[in-house]
Amino acid sequence: MERVIKAQKTKKRFSVGKIFVFAVLVFYTLFLFGPLLIVFLTSVTSTEQLTSTTSFVWLPKVTFRPYGSVFSDDIAADYLGAPSLLIGFANTLWMTLLPLIVGLVVSGLSAYAYSKLKFPGQKKIFRIAFLLSMVPLGAFGVISYTFYSQIGWVGTPFPLIIPGMFGSMGTVFFFKMFYEGIPDSLIEAGKIDGLGIFGSFFLILFPLAVPAFIAQFIFGFVAGYNSYMGPLLYLEGVPELATLQLVLSDVRGTFPGLGKENIHCAAAILGMLPLILIYCFLQKFFIEGIAVGGVKG
Amino acid sequence: MNAELQDDILERENVAIGQQEENSCESRSKRRKRRGKWNKEAIIAIILALIPVIGFLIFNGFPLVISFLALFCDVDLYELGSFSWNNFEGFKVIFSNDYSLSTYGLNVAHYFYKACGITLWIASTQFVTLLIALGIAVLLATKVKGHNVFQILFFVPYICSTVAVSLMWRWMFSGEDSGVLNTIFGTSITWLNDPSTMTWTIIIAIIWQAPGYGIVMYKSALANIDVSQYEAAELDGANAWEKFIHITLPGIAPTTFYLLIAGIGAGFLTYDIAALMIPDGFAGSIGGNESMGLTLVRLMYYLIRNDQLASSVVSAASVITWVLFVVTGSITLALFRRRDKLMEG
Repeated sequence: MERVIKAQKTKKRFSVGKIFVFAVLVFYTLFLFGPLLIVFLTSVTSTEQLTSTTSFVWLPKVTFRPYGSVFSDDIAADYLGAPSLLIGFANTLWMTLLPLIVGLVVSGLSAYAYSKLKFPGQKKIFRIAFLLSMVPLGAFGVISYTFYSQIGWVGTPFPLIIPGMFGSMGTVFFFKMFYEGIPDSLIEAGKIDGLGIFGSFFLILFPLAVPAFIAQFIFGFVAGYNSYMGPLLYLEGVPELATLQLVLSDVRGTFPGLGKENIHCAAAILGMLPLILIYCFLQKFFIEGIAVGGVKG
Repeated sequence: MNAELQDDILERENVAIGQQEENSCESRSKRRKRRGKWNKEAIIAIILALIPVIGFLIFNGFPLVISFLALFCDVDLYELGSFSWNNFEGFKVIFSNDYSLSTYGLNVAHYFYKACGITLWIASTQFVTLLIALGIAVLLATKVKGHNVFQILFFVPYICSTVAVSLMWRWMFSGEDSGVLNTIFGTSITWLNDPSTMTWTIIIAIIWQAPGYGIVMYKSALANIDVSQYEAAELDGANAWEKFIHITLPGIAPTTFYLLIAGIGAGFLTYDIAALMIPDGFAGSIGGNESMGLTLVRLMYYLIRNDQLASSVVSAASVITWVLFVVTGSITLALFRRRDKLMEG
């Protein structure tokens, strides 16, 4: 009893170590958010103020005009019919969501077949699939261009959409792991009640595995939303198909001239905003989603 | 992000398979009974099970086979199945200095060796990222006031797109009069154009963005270490450093292993941040001034998207692809081999 009280006392005490820890964390926060703050400050500075001085403007006369200029000053809007940032956002949304949702359902069903159904050679096939997907094939990302070029898919969104629709082995493993915590008896019970293969997946397994699907959905969405090299390889030079990241990466070309950094920064903030907002509301899922993958050995 | 998560899961599956192996004797007789039962359910099940495998084989298999054949053949970018023996042209272009300069007017080998150095340099940043992630996670684990808020904040850079991050850092490093860092330090350095600073700007952008994922991973790994181990060590009179070396490090070794595998793979394949921070300049400056921002993937990308090498483009790019594949593959393999040792600490 005495020791407990002692421990509580030391916890409350004003200790040098804790101040040091706190100071380091605050310093790291400044390193991370200082640049973001500067981008925000620039985005609310007027072009006149940017061009009138040779040094960075720390305390601008706040104006939100640059945010309007992102849409109104877009030189590409004339022939695209809408500001390129909006077109990019729409393209990003459908090119990310379509393969993501289809891919998640396909992976979910595949994992269901591996863990809750039976077919000859099940374990052998699973092992082969597992070994195949262990090979680090990232190096083949750019050379895949050759393949897609030969089948005429360059300049179309197909290379970004179709492969994802087949699901991914990594997601299959993730779901399989999750399903293993769900008792087989539930599926059996569904069968007795007359549910078919798909019925017991969508009515029994899927509702129970929603957290796993949300985790995969979030990470798939962030990766798709932020992806840059794929769209660049296959969609460069097709402005009506450009994704948000392609539009953002060309922001200096879309808003040329001196003192337009405010518009560039405003565009960058608008581009990041959707994910930041999602993160604000769902940050629990983000952090738990990562932790789930790495808790055990 | 997904790839990294994937690695963790694969890892865990590997362990699970190891366990299954032990049980396989038991299940073998059961399986034999099951074999040959091709009812409707089994057919649907195997189709469902195989769809991701088929997708994997098509969209990874074809590029893999094409790039392998292209090591020794000229390949037409627009015609499937057009291969013609090219007498090791791709290898000559990539490895033999000055060969491609006289043949195609572009000294690819020079760029290749330069890019190898820069890629190694950038890939080694992953160790710094790892150390920062571990350090911050350890500090967060002291449950200092507001540690949850800090954790939420520290993950934000990770969800920012590389494009936005590059816009931000290009503005910070801008060499024009109103550049942020030049204003702060009162200097007039052209950070993004000076060969001695260019690579550092890429590395700083990486270090700004990358640790968030590791922090979250490490924090959950630290939270999973059994507290009683620390208590036992305390009774034995261990100090904080000894506890860290003998309990904490072995406890988080699996996490370190995943982060290393994913991080080194990503480091060797750096494209986005390098290409965005230091864009290709005018002809003859691939990867910026003196190519100080040129990574191997960027060089590959450049070769593929520019017709300077005529019919040997795919061949040269394939040689780089396979160099990268062999390097990342053997590092992954080597890490897996040492894994058990690593896990024991």
